Amino acid sequence: MLLEVLLALVLGAVVLLVLRRSKAAVLKTEDGWWGAGSPPAGAEDESIRPFRVETSREEIEDLQRRIDQTRPVPSLEDSQFNYGFNSTYLQKVAAYWRNEFNWSKQVDKLNQYPHFKTKIEGIDVHYVHVKPKNLPEGRTAVPLIMVHGWPGSFYEFYGILPLLTEPANADDVAFEVICPSIPGYGFSEAPRKKGAWTRLGVPQARAAGVAIANMRLCSGRPGFNSVCAARVFLKLMRRLGFGRFYAQGGDWGWQITTNMAQLDPTAVKGLHINFAPVENVGPLVILSILLGRRFPGLFGFTELDVKRLYPRVEKMLVEPLKETGYFHIQATKPDTAGRGLNDSPVGLAAYILEKFSTWTDHEFRNLEDGGLERKFSLEDLLTNVMIYWTTGSITSSMRFYKENFAKGFYPPHARIPVTVPTGVAAFPNELMHTPKLWAKQKNHKLKTYTTMARGGHFAAMEEPGLMAQDIQKFIKVVEGKK
Amino acid sequence: RQRLTEELDRPKLQLLALSSVGIGLTYFLVWRRKAKKSIPLGDGWWGHGQQTLRDDNKIYPFKVETSEDEINDLHRRIDQMRYTEPLEDCGFQYGFNSNYLQKVVSYWRNQFDWKKQVAKLNEYPHFKTNIEGLDVHFVHVRAPHRPGQKVLPLMLVHGWPGSFFEFYKILPLLTDTKDDLAFEVICPSIPGYGFSEAPHKQGFCSLDAARIFLKLMERLGFNKFYLQGGDWGSLITTNMAQMKPQCVSGLHLNMLAVTKGGVGMLLSLIIGPYLPFLVGFTREDVRRLFPYFEKNVYDLLMESGYMHIQGTKPDTAGCGLNDSPVGLAAYILEKFSTWTDRKNRDLEDGDLEKKYSLDDLLTNVMIYWTTRSIIPSMRFYKENFKTNPQNRVDARTGIFVPMGHAAFPNELMHCPLPWARWRFKDIRSYSYMPRGGHFAAFEEPRLLAEDFVKFVRKVEGKKR
Repeated sequence: MLLEVLLALVLGAVVLLVLRRSKAAVLKTEDGWWGAGSPPAGAEDESIRPFRVETSREEIEDLQRRIDQTRPVPSLEDSQFNYGFNSTYLQKVAAYWRNEFNWSKQVDKLNQYPHFKTKIEGIDVHYVHVKPKNLPEGRTAVPLIMVHGWPGSFYEFYGILPLLTEPANADDVAFEVICPSIPGYGFSEAPRKKGAWTRLGVPQARAAGVAIANMRLCSGRPGFNSVCAARVFLKLMRRLGFGRFYAQGGDWGWQITTNMAQLDPTAVKGLHINFAPVENVGPLVILSILLGRRFPGLFGFTELDVKRLYPRVEKMLVEPLKETGYFHIQATKPDTAGRGLNDSPVGLAAYILEKFSTWTDHEFRNLEDGGLERKFSLEDLLTNVMIYWTTGSITSSMRFYKENFAKGFYPPHARIPVTVPTGVAAFPNELMHTPKLWAKQKNHKLKTYTTMARGGHFAAMEEPGLMAQDIQKFIKVVEGKK
Repeated sequence: RQRLTEELDRPKLQLLALSSVGIGLTYFLVWRRKAKKSIPLGDGWWGHGQQTLRDDNKIYPFKVETSEDEINDLHRRIDQMRYTEPLEDCGFQYGFNSNYLQKVVSYWRNQFDWKKQVAKLNEYPHFKTNIEGLDVHFVHVRAPHRPGQKVLPLMLVHGWPGSFFEFYKILPLLTDTKDDLAFEVICPSIPGYGFSEAPHKQGFCSLDAARIFLKLMERLGFNKFYLQGGDWGSLITTNMAQMKPQCVSGLHLNMLAVTKGGVGMLLSLIIGPYLPFLVGFTREDVRRLFPYFEKNVYDLLMESGYMHIQGTKPDTAGCGLNDSPVGLAAYILEKFSTWTDRKNRDLEDGDLEKKYSLDDLLTNVMIYWTTRSIIPSMRFYKENFKTNPQNRVDARTGIFVPMGHAAFPNELMHCPLPWARWRFKDIRSYSYMPRGGHFAAFEEPRLLAEDFVKFVRKVEGKKR
């Protein structure tokens, strides 16, 4: 046994040394145009227009009417949240939404921070811009862009914004925060153009140098994917006058901010992420999966790492399969998947809030109420749902999945490392767990890796205090080193 | 002398031991093979709460009905549809095209006559009967007794997202024939689909549906009958043949799912494209199977998103569809477009009306809409995938009743004869159909009926 382990280690080391080429590669991208028809002649309108979220009596009455028209189907006996959103609890949520939820009040809450819109690559990009109010003399606010994911929105950050812009501790850094909406989500306009692909046969693919590992052998222009979003957000920051800034993200926000750091490493001073799935499974990762349980110390695996990764088949195959149905249908037939949800608010709420339950803690699947109100208030949860509902953006939000997986699971940016200082906040109930070793494979300048005390996928909304603390810790390490 | 005896005894003993082991082993293998010819029936109760009363064996006539309220409610919801613009030039690649959907919806709102369709549904007699705690719905079509005609009983089982209505075009071709053979047909609705009550307990899978349908045939007085099915119908009828092979005269399927892969399959995939005849493939098999990766893995991945979400979170997936008729129509009709011919994905209208009329398509959708059965219909996927389908008792058991397969060219998966032989031990007929896709009975009723009758004649011929 020991001999085999030693051999495996030696082999692994050799493979590592031989295969690991320091890629100083920078992610390349072309410009895009996502508006209707063809781009007009002349320069783009770069003005920044203030924006206010608004509502109307009609909007609220229409919502209430539709909630009243819900046709509930009882869940199977004792099935809790194992078949999806439990019907009995859904009726309670719908009743609250119909009778107690005050959308006008929530709209005022949304407008407490200034919103803006500006046209980039043919579409209106929405963002919230929060400046610290009481900055002491001689101090400047550190610019930070925070990017949301699916099925979230800029609203997820409303709990953490005060902690970052008006930190209680005098030592802490005060941030000037930009929270954009990904195009196709909420108040950002949806791209109109799709990806243009031509299928290649295997011999042509080989000739074109396209990796056979890609599921789809094709060449062409991508649709609006994370790299495009990253490019758009880089343009946004530049337009706002930020030459260098920090970036924070989870879920799609992780992918987009990572792409931003890959596209323009000089602009991104530091990258803080709370989600870091492995895209490029190299020999070291494989080795750690095989031997990590027996020899955790060898790979720097903590107790949490071992608990989250083993038993292998259950944690790395069965669990992900159980939770990725939405991903599969959205990455293939988004227009079909979103169609009904845009007419039925209760259907939309069930679809979105199921994630807020299960992705906060998998054990919540066994609770009658999905444990939804343990970590979130119905008011906050429904405000997020209303952002999808009032803008009719559920379908365009789903299309993002298809555009990102058009080239399979191994697009060019998955192979390029991140060379800006990175901090990882590893929340214990995150969907996919990434040990420090794995994070280091992609993020070559990993400055901080924190195993957080509690929290799941929607970390900023669920544990804003813990998240803010870790961001401060990360910033201090990066700035301190300067 | 004692020494000799001792020495002789040992080899003798060894011989005795070996032969008894050998006999035992042979007996065991033979016995096992014999026992494997059927799977256990099991039992179940799917009603509310605890089982209190015994099954009421009565059969009640049933009429499909509608009301002004129902139609007005539908119209109101269609009017409330909130349109989302599709991407430019995307055809059906992102799912049901929103532009074409508006045309379908406009027809549904202004021209589709549900009352007329309900009358059409009621042209055949419907019934309901309570089995294992659930009201099971079925259509029962008798053949007009012509002199000299042999009438054989037959059950047709539908799949998802279809219904008993898919068989309405093939029914006259099977029941009202002019020659010596006709059929008396039972078209049930799978519990949870359409007018059949949905199970209230967890765990209702195809084995349970099969058992319930066997009980139905028994209750109707049929002790030997034919079975035909595609999609879930294919699995359910196969299970029925496994549970009570003595009751099944013949099993005709238009869809075969390959569950057992293994070395044989791998070998045939590697050798098949180059030396097809070596692995039992015909030229047509090669044409339909290869390039394997693209047609069977990539395409399947592209098309199985619905299966993945329904197999894990059916209550979430169906929730919005039960409030939005337009959403329901898009979800269901996307399948009628893509599973009829995958090339339809590139077309703006998905070529939906090439093979089907909007009236027929929307009638099928209305069956899901008016009965609110989209969620229970989706739960069937989860219940069947709960245990690894490859390890379930029916996947490990063969099928010994006479079987016939109609292989339609645009079916989702192609199953060549050598692969079908792994599980079906008595294949009497295997036909390459000239055209048609997944919804064979709906799209090509004449072709399917012809092949089915051809199969039955072969089986009946052998009986004489």
